[in-house]
Amino acid sequence: MSFEMSKRSLFAATALLAVTLAVPSAHAQSRAETLRYVTGATVNTLDPNIPGSTREAFALSMSSYDRLVSFGRKQLNGKWVFDLDTITGELAESYSVSADGLKITFKLRSDAKFQDGSPVTAEDVKWSLDRCVTAPILGKAQLLTGSLTSADQFKVIDPLTIEVTLPKPDKLALPNLATVYPIIINSKLAKAHATAEDPWALNWTKENAAGSGAYIVETFKPGEQVIAKRNDAWNRGTPDKPAAFKRLIIQSVPEPATRANLVERGDADLVIDLQASDVQSLEGKGKLKVISTPQYNAVTFISMNNTIPPFDNVNVRRAIAYALPYDDMFKAALFSRGAPLYGATWADGKPPSGGYPIPQPIKLDLEKAKAYLKDAGMPDGFSTTFSFNVGQAATAEPMAALVKESLGKIGIKVDIQKLPDAQMSTAINEKKLPFFIEGIVAWLPSTDYFYRNFYTGKQRWNYSSTDNAELEKIAQEARFEADKAKYEEEGKALNAIHFDQMFQIPIWQAAQDAVMQPTVDGYVYQFTRQVDYRNLSRK
Amino acid sequence: MGTIGATLLRAGRRFVSSLPALFGVLVFTFLLMRVLPGDPAVFFASGPNAGKEEIEVIRRQLGLDKPLPNQLVIYLTDVARGNLGRSMMTGQAVAKDLKERLPASLELTLTALLIALVSAVPLGVIAALRPGSLVDHGVRLFCSLGVCVPTFVSGLLLIYVFYYLFGLAPDPTGRIDIFASLPPQRTGFLIIDFLLAGDVEGWWAAARQLMLPAVTMALFVIAPLARITRASMLVSLGSDFVRTARSVGLSWWRIVVTYALRNAILPVITIAGIVFSTMLGANVLVEKVFSWPGVASYALDALLVSDYAPVQGFVLLMATIFVIVNLLVDVLYGIADPRATVA
Repeated sequence: MSFEMSKRSLFAATALLAVTLAVPSAHAQSRAETLRYVTGATVNTLDPNIPGSTREAFALSMSSYDRLVSFGRKQLNGKWVFDLDTITGELAESYSVSADGLKITFKLRSDAKFQDGSPVTAEDVKWSLDRCVTAPILGKAQLLTGSLTSADQFKVIDPLTIEVTLPKPDKLALPNLATVYPIIINSKLAKAHATAEDPWALNWTKENAAGSGAYIVETFKPGEQVIAKRNDAWNRGTPDKPAAFKRLIIQSVPEPATRANLVERGDADLVIDLQASDVQSLEGKGKLKVISTPQYNAVTFISMNNTIPPFDNVNVRRAIAYALPYDDMFKAALFSRGAPLYGATWADGKPPSGGYPIPQPIKLDLEKAKAYLKDAGMPDGFSTTFSFNVGQAATAEPMAALVKESLGKIGIKVDIQKLPDAQMSTAINEKKLPFFIEGIVAWLPSTDYFYRNFYTGKQRWNYSSTDNAELEKIAQEARFEADKAKYEEEGKALNAIHFDQMFQIPIWQAAQDAVMQPTVDGYVYQFTRQVDYRNLSRK
Repeated sequence: MGTIGATLLRAGRRFVSSLPALFGVLVFTFLLMRVLPGDPAVFFASGPNAGKEEIEVIRRQLGLDKPLPNQLVIYLTDVARGNLGRSMMTGQAVAKDLKERLPASLELTLTALLIALVSAVPLGVIAALRPGSLVDHGVRLFCSLGVCVPTFVSGLLLIYVFYYLFGLAPDPTGRIDIFASLPPQRTGFLIIDFLLAGDVEGWWAAARQLMLPAVTMALFVIAPLARITRASMLVSLGSDFVRTARSVGLSWWRIVVTYALRNAILPVITIAGIVFSTMLGANVLVEKVFSWPGVASYALDALLVSDYAPVQGFVLLMATIFVIVNLLVDVLYGIADPRATVA
């Protein structure tokens, strides 16, 4: 207590001194060492595992907590993106996978300390991973995809060694440990705040960070701002030194036009959620740095529920696919910022790659669309509703208008339905929408993962309600396929089924437009589709 | 003394009689939120892998698995204890969120109302003194412009001119410059807290931050206030007692301000009360444009994601404020026109 008090009064004295001595140049100095990031969203919890966590909360947790391992980075068309295939140690100094692929052994860094100064031990790692697969939190469903389901799989060998056992060799086990959820928590601190009803201290971690990460949260005001200072003892970055910015401000600014003004005036350093039209004009002025990366782990669809007539008829789905005004939509909604998934040419009609998603050989062709409608027995068309959510209105509204116009030409009458976000997710979950715009994202974007999660089962993410036995069988086999060439063949087979059945229509991967001051350096497009503040520095 | 006592008694009676209405609001909002088609559990279980199980967990946490009457009873007992529930969106208790955000909204709305009154009443009076003149038309034009330009347009325009083009205003992001430190919290009103802390520089920073949003809101409500002042002044200026005052040669100021305006002010107070309550709930656009951490933008965000507790808390808060403002208007009536207490 007395120590705490003295620390606090010391801090107050320093603060007072700093205020009295503050001169403009000192302020400018600290401004240069501060990263001010503005966003339309908000951080709502300090523990990314809490159900309802926002993407901004995920991004913050990447900096406030460490994980055992992290993804490397690679260049894709000249831009830095995360690299699923390079997994480097974060809290783990090294790791080894046994020859049969059933055991992963992690050796922890001996110098790693939590933000309160206590060392990171294998016990903390075990408690944190146990929590992730046992507590009713978001991490449970994620780690399941890497065959990590039970606390028995994590074994402490010695204070700096932990062993993970797998029921079968699963190539997604290791990458899963680099995702947002399996944070390593200071278990002594968390246990001190656990209660009988809340054995994993979820209520406490929601508002308190107890990690070893690069930034220490100082102020947390949900809906307004988070301010964090650098953890000078942190050395888990690639170059073995602390993060570059001394201070980090994450501020919620709901109005996109205001965010654009802020970054243009130089008051904000970085923003990733501007409207496409603003990005276009800022890029044209040439004063700011704009890095546009197609979100290569995300896809935007025009989706159809394959169980609701008339979309249960494959020829209706094909007719729609050839009646969409792809180019116009791409220009009107995204100002052509992104990677199109239409207009490809497949030699001899076969998919050229086993990746997902790949551009499909479809384009606007009303004659073909009419022919398919005729095959479907509906030459005069039909009526349907087309839905999108309010949160997506900036891009979806012009798309919907164009879809309505174009489908009208082949006799399909479309009613546009704009739904509040919660209503839209409820309707999709209950499989009530026939025809709508939606998007998906995968943190671990591999072909089988996409097909297993977004084209099977009765859960929400199977937008098209696809139920295709052959697709499911191949996707399940591909999951544990060790042979790369075979995996590629399986991917091609899945893509061929997808194109033939046209369950839903992948239209594009929108670009993530990061707009920043020219002095900001090191931006990497991350799997979270958010900024990893640890990457950034000022030139 | 007697008039004040009578006024207070009347106010007390009015307050008690408004309690059933508050209860009705409580139950109605509760039912309304549940009738809306959005399911908060589905929305908040939206991690990349959230499935049926996660949705069920959230539903249980929120108590949505229980039958509706049970939920209502639990909610009413909690509200009686002062617990408004927990927001899924911010992860905080709704009462705490509202307590933190209400001063921000009140500070903004009161300042805007003050600016509006200070400019609308003289404008109305000037227009009434010379009806049909160029001045009158000028005021009419100004009022029409103010009311027909939506607040988010005038807000963005003001930001563009004063922040973006000339750099006169601070960046429009909330109540205080993000690099400045906050005063010790006493009232929650920043411009009062800064004064109490004796921090003049901080006070100036907060006041500058407040200016643009307050003016944006004021522009929108100047019209009703100025128009009602003008109409009421016209009646009052044409009445017998003003003619008498004129004939006995009282000064211009005494005639216009002491006799005519005081008699004309009652409808202005009524409108001001209504305008204030409306502004507090409806200033969501201004709050959004200026990233103002107020209650209205909080409620709108909650509504979009079907987060029940904050919306219900917000409506209850607004209803309570409406009742209080009406009481206040009653009391002001008594002061402005002693005859009102007799009724």
